[in-house]
Amino acid sequence: MSHDHDHGAHDPIQASEGVSEFEILERAVRELAIEKGLFSEEDHRRFSEWAESIGPSGGSKLVAKAWTDPEFKARLLADGTEACKEVGIDWLDPTGVGTPSDYTYFYVLENTPEVHNVIVCTLCSCYPRPVLGMSPDWYRTPNYRRRLVRWPREVLAEFGLHFGPDVEVRVHDSNQKSRFMVMPMRPEGTEGWTEEQLEAIVTRDTMIGVALPHADWTASGPPSAAKANS
Amino acid sequence: MTEYKYAIGDRVTVRDGTTLFHTRTQAFTRGKSGVVVEYRPEWVIPEDEAWGRDDAERGGRYEPFYVVRFLQKDLWPNYTGFDVDTLETEVSEHWLEPAKEEQK
Repeated sequence: MSHDHDHGAHDPIQASEGVSEFEILERAVRELAIEKGLFSEEDHRRFSEWAESIGPSGGSKLVAKAWTDPEFKARLLADGTEACKEVGIDWLDPTGVGTPSDYTYFYVLENTPEVHNVIVCTLCSCYPRPVLGMSPDWYRTPNYRRRLVRWPREVLAEFGLHFGPDVEVRVHDSNQKSRFMVMPMRPEGTEGWTEEQLEAIVTRDTMIGVALPHADWTASGPPSAAKANS
Repeated sequence: MTEYKYAIGDRVTVRDGTTLFHTRTQAFTRGKSGVVVEYRPEWVIPEDEAWGRDDAERGGRYEPFYVVRFLQKDLWPNYTGFDVDTLETEVSEHWLEPAKEEQK
């Protein structure tokens, strides 16, 4: 088909940018598994739909509960996987259709006035999916993965986070079988808040460790709405 | 009960082994020294998992794992943060040896 008529110069629109080698590998393994009868196409679709619908609300619950219940906090820090069951998250079998995590060892990292924790996976993109859902795109980029371990303060500054020399920035590289989540410090201005109110301000980025929670910020609406309400 | 060769607080050095094959021991930790801060369970080592030996029945070898904490200034030349900054990661026992402080 000719394409010489004049409707403004532009590059031809591509239906797709092609598939990566990993996508080809995933499809090949998936098709083999389906042919072998390990699971059906419908099982795969349902699992993907469910796994991709998990957000960070489980993690927010864990933190809000720990902020209001010192005994729960102690249990959470001692055995993260076990404590998750108290908010309805079973790392071994959350819904009866498997787990969205490849491994089931979960550790919660408590921020203190002296130590700020931040997570990364330099070798791939390990992430505590049962409690935080799918990782943000930037978390999986080589840019974040390479630079966070080498220039952590510069990367945190790009997220708007600055600490002085009295705070130890502690990077956790989840290279093996454990998954990590950061427990931020409860911010000022939240005295007397209910667990539900607290959950709203414990956003995804505060549990990765690239942001701090604030009493006037939740991720449930656009920033303009948050300003209007304050 | 797991018998751990290293104790919490021990200074250890990551062996400067090959970066070929699947080890999950980051190249940037090789030859660097840090402190054991936590124990992990015995897990099948990645070197075996990579070849489908992902449990004992298939020949997967289990090893104690440790959390090792490094000072960032020990990991990187010209580290631009502060002296207090650290990095923690998990290392299997055979990748560790008693700290070779003289290498520093």
